[in-house]
Amino acid sequence: MKLLLPAAAVLAVFAAALGALFRWSVLEFVPGSLQTGGVTLANFRMVMAPQYLGAIRDTVVLSALTTVLTLLAAYPVAYALARTPSRRVRSLLLVLTLAPFFTGAIVRTYAWVLVLGNTVVTWPVPMLFTERGVLVGLVHFSMPTMILILAAALSHIDPAYERAAASLGARPGRVFLRVTLPLSLPGIVSGGLIVFAWTLSAFPTPEMLGGGKVKMIANVVRDLGLDSFNWPGAAAFALVALVLTLGMLTALGRLGARHAP
Amino acid sequence: MRARFGLTALAALLAASLAATPAQAQNALVVSIWGGNWKDTVERIIGKAFTARTGIPVEYEVGGTIDRLAKARVAKGNPLVDLNFTTTHVARLYISDGLYDKLDMAKIPNAKEITREAVRSDYHVGSWAYVYTVVYRPDLVKEEITRWSDLWKPSLKGKIAMPDFDPSHIITIAALMEGGNEVNWQKGEAKLRQLKESVAAFYSTDAQSQDLMKTGQGPVQVMLSVNAYHLQEQGIAVKVVQPTDYPGIVGIDTMAVMAGSKKADAAHQFINLALSKEIQGELVKALRAGPVNPGAAVPANLKGQPGIFGTAAEWKERGYIMNDDARAKNLPGWREWFTANIVKK
Repeated sequence: MKLLLPAAAVLAVFAAALGALFRWSVLEFVPGSLQTGGVTLANFRMVMAPQYLGAIRDTVVLSALTTVLTLLAAYPVAYALARTPSRRVRSLLLVLTLAPFFTGAIVRTYAWVLVLGNTVVTWPVPMLFTERGVLVGLVHFSMPTMILILAAALSHIDPAYERAAASLGARPGRVFLRVTLPLSLPGIVSGGLIVFAWTLSAFPTPEMLGGGKVKMIANVVRDLGLDSFNWPGAAAFALVALVLTLGMLTALGRLGARHAP
Repeated sequence: MRARFGLTALAALLAASLAATPAQAQNALVVSIWGGNWKDTVERIIGKAFTARTGIPVEYEVGGTIDRLAKARVAKGNPLVDLNFTTTHVARLYISDGLYDKLDMAKIPNAKEITREAVRSDYHVGSWAYVYTVVYRPDLVKEEITRWSDLWKPSLKGKIAMPDFDPSHIITIAALMEGGNEVNWQKGEAKLRQLKESVAAFYSTDAQSQDLMKTGQGPVQVMLSVNAYHLQEQGIAVKVVQPTDYPGIVGIDTMAVMAGSKKADAAHQFINLALSKEIQGELVKALRAGPVNPGAAVPANLKGQPGIFGTAAEWKERGYIMNDDARAKNLPGWREWFTANIVKK
């Protein structure tokens, strides 16, 4: 029981923070003042306006697309990482995968500002300050983590299964679809959940690549709290977003568990 | 034995350093200000002169506008800082929360010299001024821009960047164009909507604004004059427009004494020194911001430039000062309207 005390202490801090968030969310916002009025549900009515719900919808759509595209882009790299017999190739892949981790989110995103703008490359369609550009940045940001999770899952699959399928006449494509892919599903589910969850709270990428036109949940919370001085509104929006996020992650988790091999 | 001696020595050192810290803080005047160039300039020009004259050391607490406001709120009644620098309409929030003390003007004789517009309330006075105006890169925008209304030209479509953290400047300009002002700003709503397609990007920070100009992603901007001059210093050829149709929107950064400060006298001395014409002249050169003391010497290359007001007439003719209260109260509503109608796709 005593061993649980440190965990309880840490969780108490989290609970206190959530309690403060809830308290702020039900206090009346007085424009032009830091003073708050009485208890009200007006902040929740405000964040149900189309522009705020639109930010939540955009966040969910961008997060889902990021998850799918990251998965598609990361899987071949993870597969190569797990299956290559060459230690040199594996080291090279690992270095290339981990390198973005060491550059920091701001530096990486700033590099994308230059690439997605028309200063370095001329794009056939506008990329910078659009959802497309934000999506590129989010996928790039998520790829190293997805690759590592998938590679770990793939490396746990005994190659004997694939060899057995091949020895029974299955072509490589069929071996992959019927053996490797289903067995790597736990990695796909956990990688997908992690990428989806953290993309829901993305901040610097939409802030810098969205040019103020693409707002995700964290950007709206910041705008409300720091630019409009509307702390109760920011708290209410954060709370609504938190509840929706938890709901979605729970549903996805259950879905993943149901389809896991 | 050696380990125990080492630990004892370390503990003694730690105790000594802890004991020294409050003593140092007790003597020092603590000034809250934004970081970077703002803090460096105030430290170099006002802080050092203040310490030389009074013998009182100055410490600085740096942070963003809202970070510092939040800290001040938490420490209400027993402030961690003695003197605060912030923008005039944000100062209204401090005042509304009882975070500032009334200024004792008898202790600030130099306040008699400053321009009327810089005395913002009984609680806060201006330290320097600037304008939000049109700034552009002539190498990327071939036509000359001379007026606010040029922003509405179809040829500038997709080239403009403006702040979304505080759209009050363009909202006020649109209202002025339609015969309104910041109070009945709704008069400019239709005019503003016409601008929607012209905006390439919105920026949330000064750094983003400068990046957009440097990279050419936002070569025409509603921009802080001080930032534009900073870009010029860095070799980016930007033109700061002195609009001929409507004036630039004035911003005034202000100083105030925190309520409950135990260094209120020293804080008043600091403010008095900051308002002297000598220090104001130094601030103009360093920040390229407008002096609040008209007696300050303005370098020839800055005279008459946007945001640099030398005389009472220039303050009146070349700058539009919004009502602080209206701005502080309307800002949340402006942002909401702006996001829904201009920013949103």
